[in-house]
Amino acid sequence: MPSTSLIFQSIVLGVLLGGLYALLAAGLTLYFGVMRVVMIAHSAFLILAAYLAWYAHRETGIDPLLTLVATVPLFFVAGVAMQRLLLTRLRPATLTMMSVLLTFSVALTIEGLLGYAFSGTQRRIRLGYSSAGFEFLGARIAAVKLIAFGMAALALLGLYVLMKHSRFGQALRATIQQREAAQLLGIDTDRIAGYGFGLGLATAAVGGTALALDTTIYPSLHWHWIGPLMAIIVVGGLGSVPGAAIAAMTLGMLQSLLQLELSTTWAQTVFYVALFATLAFRPQGFFGGRLAQRF
Amino acid sequence: MRKGSELPLRAGRLRTSTLLHVGALLAGVAVALSFPSMAPSPYEITVGIAILNYAVLSTSWNFVGGFTGYISLGHGAFAGLGAYGTGLLVTKAELPPFAALFVAAALVAALAVPVGYAALRVRGASFVIVSIALVLILLLVFQSWASFTGGSRGLVVPRPFPGMLRSEHHRTFYFLFAALLGVALLTWWIIDRSRFGMGLKAIREDEDKAQSLGTPIFAYKLVVFVVSATFTSLAGGLYALWFGDLDPVFQFSILSGAYMVLMALLGGVRHLYGPLLGALIVGYALEYSKVEYGDTPLHLVVAGLLLGVVVMFMPDGVIPAATALLARFRTSGETSIREVTAAELKERHGQGNGTDESEVRNSERSGSGG
Amino acid sequence: MSEAEAAAETAARPSLATVGLSKAFGGVTALDSATVTFHHGKVNALIGPNGSGKTTFFNCVTGMIRPDAGRTTYRGRDITRKPPHRIARAGIGRSFQLCRVFPRMTVLDNLLAAVQPSSLAGQLARAGRREETERARGWLSRMGIEHLERAEARQLSWGQQKLLELAGVLMSEPELILLDEPAGGVNPALINRICDLVRELNAEGRTFLIVEHNMDLVMSLSDHVVVFDRGRPIAEGPPSVIQSDERVLGAYLGV
Repeated sequence: MPSTSLIFQSIVLGVLLGGLYALLAAGLTLYFGVMRVVMIAHSAFLILAAYLAWYAHRETGIDPLLTLVATVPLFFVAGVAMQRLLLTRLRPATLTMMSVLLTFSVALTIEGLLGYAFSGTQRRIRLGYSSAGFEFLGARIAAVKLIAFGMAALALLGLYVLMKHSRFGQALRATIQQREAAQLLGIDTDRIAGYGFGLGLATAAVGGTALALDTTIYPSLHWHWIGPLMAIIVVGGLGSVPGAAIAAMTLGMLQSLLQLELSTTWAQTVFYVALFATLAFRPQGFFGGRLAQRF
Repeated sequence: MRKGSELPLRAGRLRTSTLLHVGALLAGVAVALSFPSMAPSPYEITVGIAILNYAVLSTSWNFVGGFTGYISLGHGAFAGLGAYGTGLLVTKAELPPFAALFVAAALVAALAVPVGYAALRVRGASFVIVSIALVLILLLVFQSWASFTGGSRGLVVPRPFPGMLRSEHHRTFYFLFAALLGVALLTWWIIDRSRFGMGLKAIREDEDKAQSLGTPIFAYKLVVFVVSATFTSLAGGLYALWFGDLDPVFQFSILSGAYMVLMALLGGVRHLYGPLLGALIVGYALEYSKVEYGDTPLHLVVAGLLLGVVVMFMPDGVIPAATALLARFRTSGETSIREVTAAELKERHGQGNGTDESEVRNSERSGSGG
Repeated sequence: MSEAEAAAETAARPSLATVGLSKAFGGVTALDSATVTFHHGKVNALIGPNGSGKTTFFNCVTGMIRPDAGRTTYRGRDITRKPPHRIARAGIGRSFQLCRVFPRMTVLDNLLAAVQPSSLAGQLARAGRREETERARGWLSRMGIEHLERAEARQLSWGQQKLLELAGVLMSEPELILLDEPAGGVNPALINRICDLVRELNAEGRTFLIVEHNMDLVMSLSDHVVVFDRGRPIAEGPPSVIQSDERVLGAYLGV
């Protein structure tokens, strides 16, 4: 039996990791909400952002956090472009299936290009504060992890405020919940869906930078992220941002706790177990999402 | 194909098209079977085997993808399970190789039932998610459970015909893969023309509608999913016996599943020979580039871009695209009344009506009060 | 038994009936404990203002949506919570509010897809055997679209698709046919044609339940009208009575 402080440390790490999962799952939920698209390339963009942060740091020595200034708007535009130029051109009847293939092909392309540009070598950013950390009630917490969590939490909070308290957010929520009704209210749902996609991809930019701070990255890493993220949005109830956040926190914590007893890889299976259990016993997810019933 | 038999064509035309079809089929079979004796070296035979393996895999995939329209990105999992199942049954349970092949396929079929249950109970998106998750989880398990599976060190499967020369080994497996492909194609063809197949195609078009006409959609989808998994597993198992060395990274690779989709889609998922054609094109290109350019990450880029192009510009594959082109040549000379009417109809209502309606239908599924 | 007696007996028999059927979407109540009976052998109509729960009612009784509470019976048999295909096989066919056909199948295949084999051998037998095809052609010619049998359904005009949808439903040989807005978006000539078809098919012994906004059509076609408002029936009776019912006027005019 692990000691109490070890368990406490795991819980803290789980929360920190869960925050990142929550942010990324929110992005995935946005795509699904506005377009009914399962965006496989989400995590490939995540890794792309991490590589950009790493590359900028290596070349110029700037703090990886500063790359956000460029990557967030860039990814937003890329998201809007992807929705407008690619996804809206697919046949509506087969959109769900074909969009998966299309985003999958984008993921493969990104992975291949990253491998070509930076080789398959594992990369890691070394920062002045990489090894900094502090004790908190007996748990040792790395500063970079806390920074990553802070970024995720801030971005998530920003997203929440935007969704709840802006006109755009209202339009976005209306589009997600009842597209036809939103159109009747005079909302340009196509444009809103494009912005929703942009926002989703912007979460990948934030997440990727946060990831780059304390993780070793390599081109095929995105497969290790997309699985857990998809599991999270299903468990949370497809289309529900709060549901995804709760599921992310819960599963992130479980993964962290399981790592005490099991290897890292075995601990990751908790996501897939949760995914299969959810679909077999409660396909609408555990935390809400009305959308889920039919998908 | 199937259409030819049920349409009220004039007997003469019907007979000509049937004869042409049978002739082409026989010619294809003859070329395929004589290939090993014409191949200049065993290397060409191994390329042939690789392509046949791809053809079986993508034809197996097409039981689900083609009939029901559900896109599985994780069929690599069933191939990997078939391969490891066969390998482990030979090495650990000491079953005869070909008994192991079929026992493994039966086990995979049994596993496909609960997987299909979870994946198919809700529609569309969940299926894709489960299919990808299946590969990822199996990769984790087979890598981590090294004591049983050999982990990343790999699993060596003894050859089924120990005394056989290397070239003879390849030749034998060439015919075994060809036979498996034949069985898979025959099964697909039988389903395609059956009432079961009609129900599956109705599901692909509109599940609610199919259900309201009395089609047990869940049972149909599950059955065809299990059939598909079984054939995929047989292909994987045969590969294990032929190649003799398994590594989880290659067996449970999301990329192998993606190739199956790409091949089937490129050829045309609604056609019996679509996946085979796709496998010939993509499989040959893969083998060729492996020799010419080695193993570079640009593989992924090319596969990704090709998949994207197919999805965007010819989601029905090259067969319908070529047929449409041929039809255009033919109709320029001939103007039957019916064809004019159909063309007019298409112009007036075709695309517009069809897509508008399905758009409504797709987004209206939440079903509120009327 | 004389014909008149037989007719009287069928008239009294219930066809589809619900008791306390309820369904809410999120916080919105679509069906509020709806208790209603439709009559066998008749043309029944279900009317009501937009959002009164008519389509939800259709979806609940055909199993497309699970009701939160309540029971549905069809000719005395409980069909509550049965899956849609079982309900279809029990003899209930339906059309959809926005006409739904299989767009990329041929017109003939659209009908053949409605043939439901019962045995395993039947499943694997070739689709479109002679007798099935003949039966399908029979329905197509009755709809007047037999010349289109080789066309893909999506190539058809809206009106032709409506007729095709009806033909597909008939191919599955239902006793009770639920039509969701059969006259929606259809030109007057075709409305007359659909009305005639409903009358003929009813005379041949099929029961109808029609949701429709076109009041002229409802009043001229139906024997029995049920009016829904806010998810429950507020009036029912023959068309002449319904037309002068104050509650009905109130519901429609929002008084």
